[in-house]
Amino acid sequence: MRRPVSRIAAMAATLALALAGCSGGGGGGGAAKSGDAPPLVVHAVDAGTFQEDFNPYHLEGVNFGTSGMIHETLMFFNKLKPGEITPWLALEHEWSDKGKSVTFTLRQNVKWSDGKPFTADDVAFTFDMLKKHPQLNKSALEIEGTEVLAPDKVRIDFAATSYAKLYDIAGNSPIVPKHIWEKEKDPATFTNPKPVGTGPYTLSKFSAQLYELVKNPSYWQPGKPEVPVVRFPAYTANALQTALQQGEVDWAGAFVPDIDKIYVQGKPEQNKYFFPPEGLVTLLPNLTHPVLGKPEVRQAISLAIDREKIVRIAERDYTKVAHPSGVTMPGGEAYVPEEYRDAAYKVDIEKAKELLKGIDPAQLTFELLVPSPYTDWVNAAQLIREDLAKVGITVETRGVAFQDWVSKVGKGDYDLSIRGTPAGPTPYFQLRSLLYGKLAKPVGESSTGNYERWKDEETDKLIAEYAATEDLAEQQKATQGLAKIMIEKLPALPLFYSPSWAQFRTNKYVGWPSEQDPYAMPSPYTSPDAAMVLLRLKPAGT
Amino acid sequence: MRFLARRLGFYLLTAWAAITLNFLIPRLMPGDPVELLVARMKGNVEPAAIDAMRKAFGISDASLWQQYVDYLVNLSHGELGRSITFYPTEVSTVIADSLPWTIGLVGVATLISYLIGTALGVIMAWKRGTWLDGVLPAATFMHAVPYFWVALALVFVFGVTLQWFPVSRAYGLDVTPGFNAEFVQSVLYHAALPAITIVVASMADRILGMRNVMVTTLGEDYVVMAEAKGLTSRRVMWAYAARNAILPNITSFALSLGFVVGGSVLTEIVFSYPGIGSMLLKGVENEDFPLMQGIFLVISLAVLVANFLADLAYVVLDPRTRQESE
Repeated sequence: MRRPVSRIAAMAATLALALAGCSGGGGGGGAAKSGDAPPLVVHAVDAGTFQEDFNPYHLEGVNFGTSGMIHETLMFFNKLKPGEITPWLALEHEWSDKGKSVTFTLRQNVKWSDGKPFTADDVAFTFDMLKKHPQLNKSALEIEGTEVLAPDKVRIDFAATSYAKLYDIAGNSPIVPKHIWEKEKDPATFTNPKPVGTGPYTLSKFSAQLYELVKNPSYWQPGKPEVPVVRFPAYTANALQTALQQGEVDWAGAFVPDIDKIYVQGKPEQNKYFFPPEGLVTLLPNLTHPVLGKPEVRQAISLAIDREKIVRIAERDYTKVAHPSGVTMPGGEAYVPEEYRDAAYKVDIEKAKELLKGIDPAQLTFELLVPSPYTDWVNAAQLIREDLAKVGITVETRGVAFQDWVSKVGKGDYDLSIRGTPAGPTPYFQLRSLLYGKLAKPVGESSTGNYERWKDEETDKLIAEYAATEDLAEQQKATQGLAKIMIEKLPALPLFYSPSWAQFRTNKYVGWPSEQDPYAMPSPYTSPDAAMVLLRLKPAGT
Repeated sequence: MRFLARRLGFYLLTAWAAITLNFLIPRLMPGDPVELLVARMKGNVEPAAIDAMRKAFGISDASLWQQYVDYLVNLSHGELGRSITFYPTEVSTVIADSLPWTIGLVGVATLISYLIGTALGVIMAWKRGTWLDGVLPAATFMHAVPYFWVALALVFVFGVTLQWFPVSRAYGLDVTPGFNAEFVQSVLYHAALPAITIVVASMADRILGMRNVMVTTLGEDYVVMAEAKGLTSRRVMWAYAARNAILPNITSFALSLGFVVGGSVLTEIVFSYPGIGSMLLKGVENEDFPLMQGIFLVISLAVLVANFLADLAYVVLDPRTRQESE
């Protein structure tokens, strides 16, 4: 999801740019030092100014690159290929005590950027810190304790079975150096202004408008990274559009309204973009509504909606229609039952009308709540209204302020709404967030998922089954069960995938992720994926 | 003195009202900051983690009254809390970092626009009936056009098409902030276009206001008297007519000085200028109560102080208020 106001600002900027035609071209991304590969200019998140915060456990305000480029995780999970896990600071992991303990064997000869060796003490310290400071424990890991078994072996104990949390433990918890962080009284407010990490980069320069990372000479992967300097200038959403047009930025993650005109500028082989799915946008029916609670009504709604048209008109063809299970395709095949792998949506107005025969037409009036700053969703809502009118369902679309929408959907105070669900490392996480009964609070209380309030024993059983095993095949089987429920019972109606924005120029560096080689999320704002991308880049023309 | 004491009492009361409203208004917004954060964050968030976030941000479920008392106590120590958007940066730091940019840009531009506008108004009133009257429709037009439109138009022409001026940020990426010639030069260069838009857009008000009052004043007996005495027209224009006509303009100047701090949101958004307006926008987007409160507080205090200064200026400039106060 992008920030609400950004889009309006982006629109305003586009207006100016569209009028200008393509006047840019100058600018350039800063001169290269002679004989050296040029710096890469990156825009990760919209910011007018930066704060000096490099604490990887802060939620917002932490500068991008802290996690992945400076502080590394134990393993790397490729979200575009669920199940593909690469050993990183840890070479191996082994579960014991029925998933309540995990032992990591660490890579040796890894050094912190200040020269001190990286050991099991650092890993233990990091997880102990999360336990002691719940504010930093953003994944809510139920850590009981840690034990250093050898300089390269550490065990972490949990209060509950944590197989399904491997991503949060190993893929989303950057390790921090004990010898520096132990001196800090309160790591929760520590801003880590001089970060020392194991990662491929170190911080070399910081000001409110620009920070710069340079290659860590003692990085454990010899010869890498090949990009010597990465610069992060502060761009607001508005200013970024101009910068992209003028070619100042090499790698950005932004919504660009008319990408061919503003960014590609007739050079598709150089000014590339790749928008893989990073989540699912669904039409949420409030299942506590007496009419929407009926499966045949949801079925009829789903049959009447022309999703292709929504993607084409409201989403500018930047994304694709979702698989009916909601699972991200391609990539998630193994998580969908065989008989449904090729399933696709087809509009069928006649059948929809047939399904609605037994229902009093007077009851088929719903309000569709959308956040008005998300202009694409507002357009999608209009299209849905038109489609549903064809089968006799009256939909009132209502745009509200972002805050209001968050609050109303959270509390279940709506009939229909549109909402995105993040994909997570495997499709299970997305479906859990959409369907898990325990996430749904009674109407009037804020939920943190399952906003449509789906209550189903079978669903909860499958979710528990996944969480109780580390066997990939069994995890996939449980997720297939969830996918089947999505398709057959329609607790929520998938519309399209939410795209992850990534624009990258190949005039300085090549080796970016692509549809053919999706080795990591291509967006500069996804960590630690962005570090994986930087490690794969090679100077152009070599 | 009684006049001043009465005004001071009035300002204290207003300050209290402003501080209280400042506390209430953000809390009347729907939703809460953590919910918003969860909605924007890309990962799945566990309920337990949400409680932890609430704790970290210092969002309490305490009664409104208790929160109000805490707020006043903290305020009396000068503590504004930590910003949620820029956690864990203190709100006072965020304000201290952004306020100089706003005051430097908008303050200076307002002053320039006031001086030029007033002078032009005086001259145009004096030379009414000549070709100078042709400026009036233009001024009325500028007065009516929305500010951001002027700004966008100027950005488009001078920034994007002609590329004479940078279109965003407060200084170039290649300079290091500090007290050196390069940096100062870059700051001035980057401030030029936004400053020009502010001057152009707000000058019209001053011209029209000053000219209209001036025309009325020129019909007064003492002006005729001054002319009859054979004083130079320059003396009559500035010392007799303008000095009396300027009073309403002083009020509006003082008011606009107060709004320098808060009224710059649009300029800063259009030009991506790192001032207090951009911070306020960020704060509102993220329901960052502490940050919003801090900025609103600064804005309301600035307006009050500016008003007080206007009152003082009145006492100096207008003998009638002095008489009343004796």
